Formats: sequence, C-alpha cells, structure tokens
Amino acid sequence: MLQTFAASLCALLLGLAVILLATDGGHAFTTEALRRGQVARASQQLPDFNVRDRLDQPDTLLHLLASDGRIRIVDFVYTRCQTVCSSLGSVYQRLQQQLLERGLQDKVGLLTVSFDPANDDAAALQAYAARLRMNPSAWEIVTLASVTDRRRLLDAFGIMIVPAPLGEFEHNAALHIIDPAGRLVRIIGYDVIDQVIDIALATAR
Amino acid sequence: MRRALPALVVTLLAIALSAPPWRYLIEQSMVWHMAIQMPLLVLAGWWAMRALSHRLTLDWLTPWNRYGLTGFIAALVILAYWMLPLAIDRAVVLPSADLLKLLTLFIAGVLLQHSFACSPAALQLFFVGYLVSMMTWLGSYFITTDLRLCNAYSLETQMQTGWGIAVIGIGLGALWVGHALGWGSRAGIRLQ
Repeated sequence: MLQTFAASLCALLLGLAVILLATDGGHAFTTEALRRGQVARASQQLPDFNVRDRLDQPDTLLHLLASDGRIRIVDFVYTRCQTVCSSLGSVYQRLQQQLLERGLQDKVGLLTVSFDPANDDAAALQAYAARLRMNPSAWEIVTLASVTDRRRLLDAFGIMIVPAPLGEFEHNAALHIIDPAGRLVRIIGYDVIDQVIDIALATAR
Repeated sequence: MRRALPALVVTLLAIALSAPPWRYLIEQSMVWHMAIQMPLLVLAGWWAMRALSHRLTLDWLTPWNRYGLTGFIAALVILAYWMLPLAIDRAVVLPSADLLKLLTLFIAGVLLQHSFACSPAALQLFFVGYLVSMMTWLGSYFITTDLRLCNAYSLETQMQTGWGIAVIGIGLGALWVGHALGWGSRAGIRLQ
C-alpha cells in the first residue's frame, strides 16, 4: 500500500508540475494566451524582412519601423480574405479615426502587413487601401517581398494559418504593438481593442 | 494471438496517423486528431495490456497499483494534459511533442487496463464519473464557444470535435455502467 501511495503521489505531483509549467502557472490554456503572456513579460526582437509598399517600393520591415520613431500597431491580412481580416479591417478603420481625431498619428501608426505576396501586388494593396479609405499619415500597408519569407514571418509573430472552407484561410488575428527598434512589445486581443491606442502610447514612454 | 492482433492493428493505425502519408488528416482536422487518434491510442494501450497480461503474470506491478489508484491518477493527469488546446497545437507543430503524445496516451491505456482489472467498482465509478464529466464539459465548450482555441484548427472542426468528445465520453460512461451491471458478460451473475 505504501508503494502505491508513493507512486500515486509522484504521478499526481509530476503531472501537476508539468501542467502548471505548460500553462504558465495555470494562466494560459491556449497557444495564443501563452504567447501574449510571454511577450507582455519580455518584449521580443523581431527578425528583418524585405517588404514592398503599395507603390511597389522595396523596403525592410525594421527600416520601416525605425524610419519615424512611431510606435506601430501591426496586423496581418491577405487582401482576398472575407472573414477574420475583414473584421480586422473595420477595427483598423475605427482605430485610424480615433488616431486622427486625437491627433496622435505622429506618435502611433497603423501598419497592415500582407502575408500573401503571390496575390497581393501593389495594385491589390492599393485597392485594399482605397476600399478601407486608408489615410497614409496614420495607416500604411506593405506586403512581404517574397513568398519564401512567409513561414519565417508568421513564426516570428506566432501566427498559424489553417485552410478553411470556400478556399479561405483562418488565422489567429491579433494586434501587435511594435516599438521603433523592432521589438514586439505586446500582443492585444479583440477583447481590449478599444484600449489598444492607450496601451501603445504607454509603451512609448 | 486472438487478443494480440487487434491491439497491434489499432496501435499501428493510431501511429500511422502521425506519419506521412496520413499525417495531413490530423494536421487539417481536429476531429481526426482529438476524437479519433487520441482515443485510438488509449484503446491501443488498453488492448496491448490486456493481451500482455494474459500471457505474463505481472505480479511485480500489483504493489505499485493497489486498487488501481496509481494508474487512475496517472491516466487522469495524462488525459487532462492532452485536453489543453496548447498541448494539441504543440503536437501538430513539434514532432517531439507528437512523439510524447503517442507514448503517453498509449501508456494511459496500459495503466487504465491494469487499474480497471484490479480496482473495486466504487473507485472505477469515481474515475469514470470524473472522466465523463470532463469530456462532456470540454465537448460542450468546444461546441458552443466562438473562440478558436487551437491556432492549428478552424472553428468548424473544433465544433465537430466537441460533438465527438462528448459522444465518446457518454459512450464510455454507458459502456462502464453496462459492464458494471454485467450485461454481455458473466460478471453479472457474480453480482446477483
């Protein structure tokens, strides 16, 4: 009986330890929550990527981020998307409006990055920008320059893309707050989207 | 041999789902991963242990698993871990996590078979009750939530998986009750 007691206790303690370790002490049960917690505790330096803007001008992500000292709120889309990205689009429209109304566009900038360079050429980006009435002073859009970088980009931001019905893709969508040095500072979920500008401002100081 | 063959077939089937050419099934659909492969792994362990204990006497194991207590606790912990959405994501992305999944769920099946064979019905009821409520709760959560819990899977397959898990949970509960009442076996005669 003593052996069973010892073995049971070991199994229980070991199991609980593993589960606590895996879930960040019981705080995160999804990959998304785990990643948000990790980034909030310690910002993460992003690798660099070649991108192209809507005028088809080449640039790199880190150069773009460092160019004007603004904090960026970054999201990821592909412009053919009908589901999650289009709701991200309307979220960004609202954020753009708030930025312009509060005159904060020189402190915080919105940046949309397309991860579908095969379809999102300069014309597609322009069409998307026009459709969402992007104001270039507050909201920019770029696309990855090369398809081969896609895996690396999505891994760096912790995004997974899965095929969904009707030829669509589903992916975890969130807003990424990135400082001018190219560090991922926070990942913000939909639940606190109305505070995202204030959170971005707070990280700037 | 009569018992070893089904164990071998189910084991190979479950492992085959983690390797090409069939891996795409568990990568694309949460149903194949959580509602088919994972239960198959536990079943494989169960049947393997049943076949093994028919050939060998496993007396040395008995003092470590009195009333099946150790096996129940270890299996519960293993099953709870593999119900975590982040654990499921990890098994899709990392081969090492997937290997761990194959091993631990198979072991859970092995332990459960040993535990059920040497535990009183009251203790079995406790385990089965806990497992069934865990599975039906998780299943109904998967069915009703609008949150995509696994980055690796679409909301649609998450919902289907919810139904799968709930049905398996209720099925297991019914199976145990039937068995405890002695339906389809000679055990009932002993109870009466």
